[in-house]
Amino acid sequence: MDGKDFLLALDEMLELPSGTLTGNETLETLEGWDSLAVISFIALVDEKLGLVVEGEKLARARTVADLLALAGIAVPA
Amino acid sequence: MVASVIEGVRFAGVVSCVPERRETTDDLAARFGEDTARRIAAATGITARHVVPPHQCTSDLALAAARHLLDRLGWEAGSVDLLILVSQTHDHILPGTGFLLHRALGLGKGAAVFDMGLGCSGYVYGLWTASALLRAAGGRRALLLAGDTTSRLVEPGDRAVAPLFGDAAAATALEADAAAPPMAFALGTDGAGAPYLMVPGGAMRRPDTPAHLTMDGTQVFAFTLREVPGNVRTVLDLAGWSVQDVDRVVLHQANAQMIRHLAAKIGATPAQTVLALAGYGNTSSASIPLALTQELAAPPGGGSLRLLLSGFGVGWSWGSATVTAGPLAACATLVLDADGRAAVSADPATDAGGEALSAGCPAKFA
Repeated sequence: MDGKDFLLALDEMLELPSGTLTGNETLETLEGWDSLAVISFIALVDEKLGLVVEGEKLARARTVADLLALAGIAVPA
Repeated sequence: MVASVIEGVRFAGVVSCVPERRETTDDLAARFGEDTARRIAAATGITARHVVPPHQCTSDLALAAARHLLDRLGWEAGSVDLLILVSQTHDHILPGTGFLLHRALGLGKGAAVFDMGLGCSGYVYGLWTASALLRAAGGRRALLLAGDTTSRLVEPGDRAVAPLFGDAAAATALEADAAAPPMAFALGTDGAGAPYLMVPGGAMRRPDTPAHLTMDGTQVFAFTLREVPGNVRTVLDLAGWSVQDVDRVVLHQANAQMIRHLAAKIGATPAQTVLALAGYGNTSSASIPLALTQELAAPPGGGSLRLLLSGFGVGWSWGSATVTAGPLAACATLVLDADGRAAVSADPATDAGGEALSAGCPAKFA
């Protein structure tokens, strides 16, 4: 899964129109990013990449790009 | 990791009990707003929870379940050699709730009785302890009582926990029987998880702080994904089963999304995976037996079922078991009204009143 696909998956998870997220967004500006979305994000990364994100690192994430970094994916240019 | 196979102990019956009063998504909407309540219900798969009135405790639910179980099995109270009570919501700081139940059930003075302080892993730990002790001590019959009234620890305005937890208790009968199929257990612990699921106040360390449950759901979910799939593989290997051999996968009923995700990770199909939390929420140590009483009340063909049970949570503590159970002489879900009267709610011989209480929340598959 590349960065573009991952952003599309995040769009779907957060019920945003496909192609909305670019990586630069701050998480606190995203209305759907709450404790339920955090759980869905952990499930998404585990399902797509077989990787369990560390809770402490996720708590420090501030931007969508930080989420991609946690998943080990480069932000698309 | 502790891994053990216990032979010669039969899973003889299980009865669960919930209080009558229900809190629904509509009740949550009044507190948190319509959109939030609906989103939480959709994400967790929980649409209602049963909660005790102020005058009822874990022991009241456990007593109703245990009485019904003994009655259906035709077990004399004096024939029970061991009673283990698993709970974190005790009636009193002391004595242990098990002693109140020993008295109320009329068990004999020769019985061994004690409490175990475990939550969502508690049912599997309790099965392991009771079965192992029956074998080691040469006893014949054991009662495992597991339950919590977590609603008493929930601050109603706390969105992280209020929509999730319900109250229930369950009684399980175990009997020494040389012909019983073996049970396998794999257990684990990581005390580093203690801060993430905790009631810090109300006990000796912080006596002046109210006893309120706090939970970091992110940490809980990450922990389960880290530990549970490997633990399940270990117990299946120990039992000599593959996941395809299992008739029912009963994971701790915390959250439907978590159950579906874990089930997929361990290779279980939706048809194998029991989802029985919609009408009850997370009932802590009672969640696995409460799912069992809904699932096993009328097993297809009336034969035995190979069960994979897995509990995980506060501690961190986790454990999985393989159990072959049924047909069971006693298997029912009871509803306890505010006056202490219990009625069967999910039994083929159900009375209409009991049926109406649980008609909206049958067990279903993931």
